[in-house]
This record gives sequence, structure tokens and C-alpha cells, in this order.
Amino acid sequence: MSMAKAEKSVTRSAPLTETSFIGWLHKNLFSSWVNAILTFVSLYIIFVVIKSLWIWGVAEAVWVAENRRECFAISKDGACWAGVIIWLENIFYGRYPRDELWRVNLGGLLLILWMAPLWLPRVKDKIFIGLSTVFLYPFLAGYLFAGGDKGIFMQLMVTGAIVCLVGNTVHACIGVFSGGGLPESLLGILGRKDASDANQRNTLLAVLAIAFVLIYALQIGWTVEAVPWTKWGGMFLTLVISGIGITSALPGGIILALGRRSKLPVIRVLSTSFIELFRSVPLITVLFMATTMFPLFMPEGFVLNKLVQVIIAVCLFSACYMAETVRAGLQAIPKGQYEAAHTIGLGYWGMMGLIVMPQALKHMIPNIVGSFIGLLKDTTLVSIIGLFDILGMLRSISQDAPWRGLHKEPLIFGAVLFFIVCFIMSKYSRHLEVKLSAGANR
Amino acid sequence: MTATDVDDTQGQLASAASSEVIIELNQVNKWFGQFHVLKDIDLVVHRGERIVVCGPSGSGKSTLIRCINRLEEHQQGDIIVDGITLDKNLKNIDHIRSEVGMVFQSFNLFPHLSILENLTLGPIWVRKTPKVEARKLAMEYLERVKIPEQADKFPGQLSGGQQQRVAIARSLCMNPKIMLFDEPTSALDPEMIKEVLDVMVELAETGMTMIVVTHEMGFAKTIADRVIFMDEGDIVEQNEPFEFFNNPQSERTKLFLSQILSH
Repeated sequence: MSMAKAEKSVTRSAPLTETSFIGWLHKNLFSSWVNAILTFVSLYIIFVVIKSLWIWGVAEAVWVAENRRECFAISKDGACWAGVIIWLENIFYGRYPRDELWRVNLGGLLLILWMAPLWLPRVKDKIFIGLSTVFLYPFLAGYLFAGGDKGIFMQLMVTGAIVCLVGNTVHACIGVFSGGGLPESLLGILGRKDASDANQRNTLLAVLAIAFVLIYALQIGWTVEAVPWTKWGGMFLTLVISGIGITSALPGGIILALGRRSKLPVIRVLSTSFIELFRSVPLITVLFMATTMFPLFMPEGFVLNKLVQVIIAVCLFSACYMAETVRAGLQAIPKGQYEAAHTIGLGYWGMMGLIVMPQALKHMIPNIVGSFIGLLKDTTLVSIIGLFDILGMLRSISQDAPWRGLHKEPLIFGAVLFFIVCFIMSKYSRHLEVKLSAGANR
Repeated sequence: MTATDVDDTQGQLASAASSEVIIELNQVNKWFGQFHVLKDIDLVVHRGERIVVCGPSGSGKSTLIRCINRLEEHQQGDIIVDGITLDKNLKNIDHIRSEVGMVFQSFNLFPHLSILENLTLGPIWVRKTPKVEARKLAMEYLERVKIPEQADKFPGQLSGGQQQRVAIARSLCMNPKIMLFDEPTSALDPEMIKEVLDVMVELAETGMTMIVVTHEMGFAKTIADRVIFMDEGDIVEQNEPFEFFNNPQSERTKLFLSQILSH
């Protein structure tokens, strides 16, 4: 059978059922009797839940009161948010001295300042900025939070961190406004733009050395009062523990995963047994082991405080979980990529660092962020071994004399806080995924 | 097949082979588990020589050239490339790999890097060439494979033929002494095979030492100094192309040729 169409078909607009709101409703919610009944029942349930939540949490709630008794006097069926509000500072900072809170806030602000260039367009050398965040920021923040006398090591690291922070910020500003970078601008100012590579490098190193010495001299006079770790607490402590856990998880996990895939049997067996040991034990057990058994392995007189022990335990635990995530990502890279890297003469580290890891990490983003979220929530377990992290703080509200028995409100408040943080992380990971895969498929 | 199919030696390239030996295989044996893939292979390749390896699948031809840059490890015998014996010494292996370019059936470009970055990676990280120079070099080779306009795209945006030409350019950027091709056109659509073969013919004209595993017999006739036929891990027959196609000696070769040239 043969046919031929003489004229082009006319383009018509889609039927109303596809485009209008009513059409959408009809198609998705009221397509049949059963569907319509289900829709109404669900709507009713949602309505009831939201209405009672609204009455309890907002309409009848008490926002200002001196103690729980007063809350009851004002309203019997409402939430007593007054307790949470009065404890708000404790929830965020624990028992950190109130006059020194600016240090915690400054630490947070510095982190934002340090990392902001990573998200700005036109800024170069983002890898360096990222690395300096991981390796130098912790020392500056650590000193800010803990205070006290700086040993010579701390002096050097704090100086390095400040030099880096100033350098990063200036570099980022130059990048955003002119698309250049700090090294080029410095060379331009010093008139060494056309000098040889070695000359340029030496000039930059000299500038760096001068800056280092200058800031070293300045920071000697700067000390802050010591705050013992026992005073750290609340959201602040949770973020410190999980922040260190998260930043050390990735490098630790990569090393363990590579070890597990190593061709050398000793390294492979060691990494595998290490990973399996930590993965088959619950975090709470690891935490107890760290605080009770860790001191046994240490030389006599060597006392680590409990916080450091806990942080080490969390780091090891998260690194082992990350190792398995990384290994899964590595297995997704086709063999041909390894071979191609070999054939252009790259050695093991070149192949891993330039070819395999960048691709594997991209595949792994959802899983990595998943385990970060898991870790953030898992760190609340430290409240069981006696650290007053956010959960410990929320629970101690009910022990406080005026608010005795106030359990529900603080825990709901904590849940909302965690939800906000975790939801943002998960949304950001989704965004990263889309952005990176867009890069590959452009 | 008849003699008239291949009777013209007009189109054949003049041989660039010199007397200097660049690859030497002595009694090489290789097993995959219990499976004996390469059986007592002896092979001598001279500088500038162009060799085509053919044979049925599973005959060990890919394994043979993958042993030459140590993507596969042989268990017995000696392989000497450019005066260096391949053994457990990692330094030697890395050195030889940077002197031997390889093009794969499935291209194996790095999907997370742009075309230009794919080409400059080796020169910058292995040869320590300054970035500007490496970029210039890469653009030269992209011109040679006729796709300079694709430099800033990503591998996923290119057609198969273009990707394979980029892969060839990537190997050439390392300025190799030897080029190995492992069925470079087998994964390509028919209309793209020619553009890749053209690039390879041009490369042959520059006097590059080439070992090509391929089923493109027309290509073998044009550029090969020698055609090697492998079957079940043996080198069954080797000869210059005219003789190989017109006057095969062994029964196995005759059977293979009749199968691939029958239509």
C-alpha cells in the first residue's frame, strides 16, 4: 500500500486536559470514584494533623514565661516554647562563657569567608582554597575556640592560617572584579611581570615570607582566654565533631579504599580488616571503646581529653564508611580509563588523581552527602558518653528546676533544626549533581 | 577470492622500515588462568615498519600488542622495546608506556576533560611540558586529525569517528616512537571508518612504527609492510601484503581470508 501526504499537518495547541489546572486535577486526583474518595480522605487527614499541630504549637502556645508552672497557668493545651527560648543560647553554645561567644561566631564567619570564594565565579585556584580550608582553617578555629597559650607549633599554624585567609580573600576579590589572581597582580605591582619563571617564583616566595613574618609578629601579642573543652556544648559542639569527622572522612576514606584495592597483600589485608572491624561495630561501641580503651594503648602519663578521643573515634568510623562509598565509586570506572591513563605514561598516583578519582567522586556525590548527613545525626550519640552536644543540651532542659519535665518542645525544636541543616545539605548535593553532570554532557 | 582483487601494488606506500630493531619478542608465552593465549611468539619489528595483525577473534592478537606496552603481563619469554626489557621494574614500564602510544577500540577518552585537556594531560604531567607549549602542540595535532574546532568540547559531544581521531591525537601528543592500534575502527559506524583510516594512512606516511590489529583488509593492503595472521595463540603466517593476500601458504590463512573476503 502506498500513500503520500500533499500538505503539512497544522500544529494545534494541546487539549485543555493537558494544560489547565482543572484538567490536571481531573487527571491526577479525580480520575475515578476510588481515586476521588482517596483524595478526600487524604485531604481530611492532612487537615486534622495540621490543625491540631497549629493549635498546640502556635495558637495556644506560650512564648514568654518564667517556668513550666507559669506555662500551664497561661495555657493547658499549648506548647511551652518559653523554656526553649530561654535555653536558646545553651542549645547553640552549651556552657561556653557568655562573654566569649563572639569567638564561636567569629569562627563560623571565618569559615564562611574562607569558603565563599569556592562558590564565586571567575575565581582561580579553587583547589588551593579548598585544601587550605581543610588543612589550615581548623588550627585558626581551634585556637579561637580553645584559647590559652599558643605553643610554637600553634603560633606557626595560626600565622599560616591568617596569611592564607588574607591571601585567599584578596585573591578572590581580584578574581571577581578583574578575572585575574593575586600572584599576577603582585608581580604586576612589583614590576616582575616579564621576568623568568624562577625569578617570578622567588619574588612570590619572598612576598609570602615577608607576610608570614609580619603576621607572626602581630599575632604573638594576640591571645584569648582559655576555655576548657568541658564548657563546649550544644549545636557548636555537634558542628565541631561532625565538621572534623566530615572533613577527615573523605581523605581517610580515599586512602582506605585505595588500600583495599591495592595489589600489595599486606596493605590490602590491613585496610580490609580495619574497614570491616569499624563497619561491623556500632558507633556507640566505638565511642565507648575510644574513651575507655584508648588510654590503655597510650604511653604512661599521656592523657588525651575525652573530646579528642571522641573526635578520633568519629573520624575513624566515618573514614571506614566513606571507604566503602569510595570503593563503590571506583568500581564504576571502566577498565579502559585505567588503561588509557597508563598508555599516556601516567603512574599510579597520576592515574588516580587526574583520571579515576575526579570521575569516581562525581558518581559518588549522592552517597557521600548521604553519609555526611548520617554522620551529622550520628554525632548526637556522644551525648550518651557524657558530652553535652545539642541533644545533651536539649535533654538537660527537662532536668533544669524551673522546666522540669519539659521533654516534647526541646526535642521537636531539635528535630526541626536537624531537618533544616540536613535538608539544605541534601538539596545542595542534588544541585551539585545536576551541575557536574551538565558539565560532562554539555 | 581472485588475484584481480588485489593485483595492484600501485596504491601501496613505499616502505619506511630501517634495519634497526625496535621491538623484539622471544618465545613469549602468556596464559589467562589455564587458557594459553600466546604460544611461543617470536616477532621482530624494525623502526618505521608498519605491521597489520589479523586473525579470528580470540586468536590473541589484541593480547599480543597489549603485552608490548605491558597492559598485560606475559609469563615466559622476553619482550624488548626500544632497547629496554619489560620486567617487574615499574620505572621501565612507565618509560616504555610513554614511548608507546596506544589507540583502543572503545576510544577511552577521559569524559570529564575537554578535548584539549585530554590531549595536554600527558605532555603536562608526564613530559612536564609548560602549559602554553602543550596547548600549542595539542592544537597542532588536532589540526592534523582535522578537528581543531572541537578543542573545547567534551568527548561525549563528539561522534565516534571524531573521538577516535582525538584518541589518536592524544597518543601522538606524547611524541611516541611506536603506535599500537587495537581494532581502532571496529566500534565505528561505516561512514566514520574512512575518516579514521585516512588519519592512520597519513600517520603511516610520516614513517611512524605502527602495529595495527584490524579487520580492514583494504587498509592492510595500502599501508602494511607485513601482514601477520594469528590463530589460537600462534603466529601462523606472516608475509608482505601482496603475497599474503594472493598466495597464502597455510590452510588456516586460506580459510580465514575466504571468510572475511567472501562479501
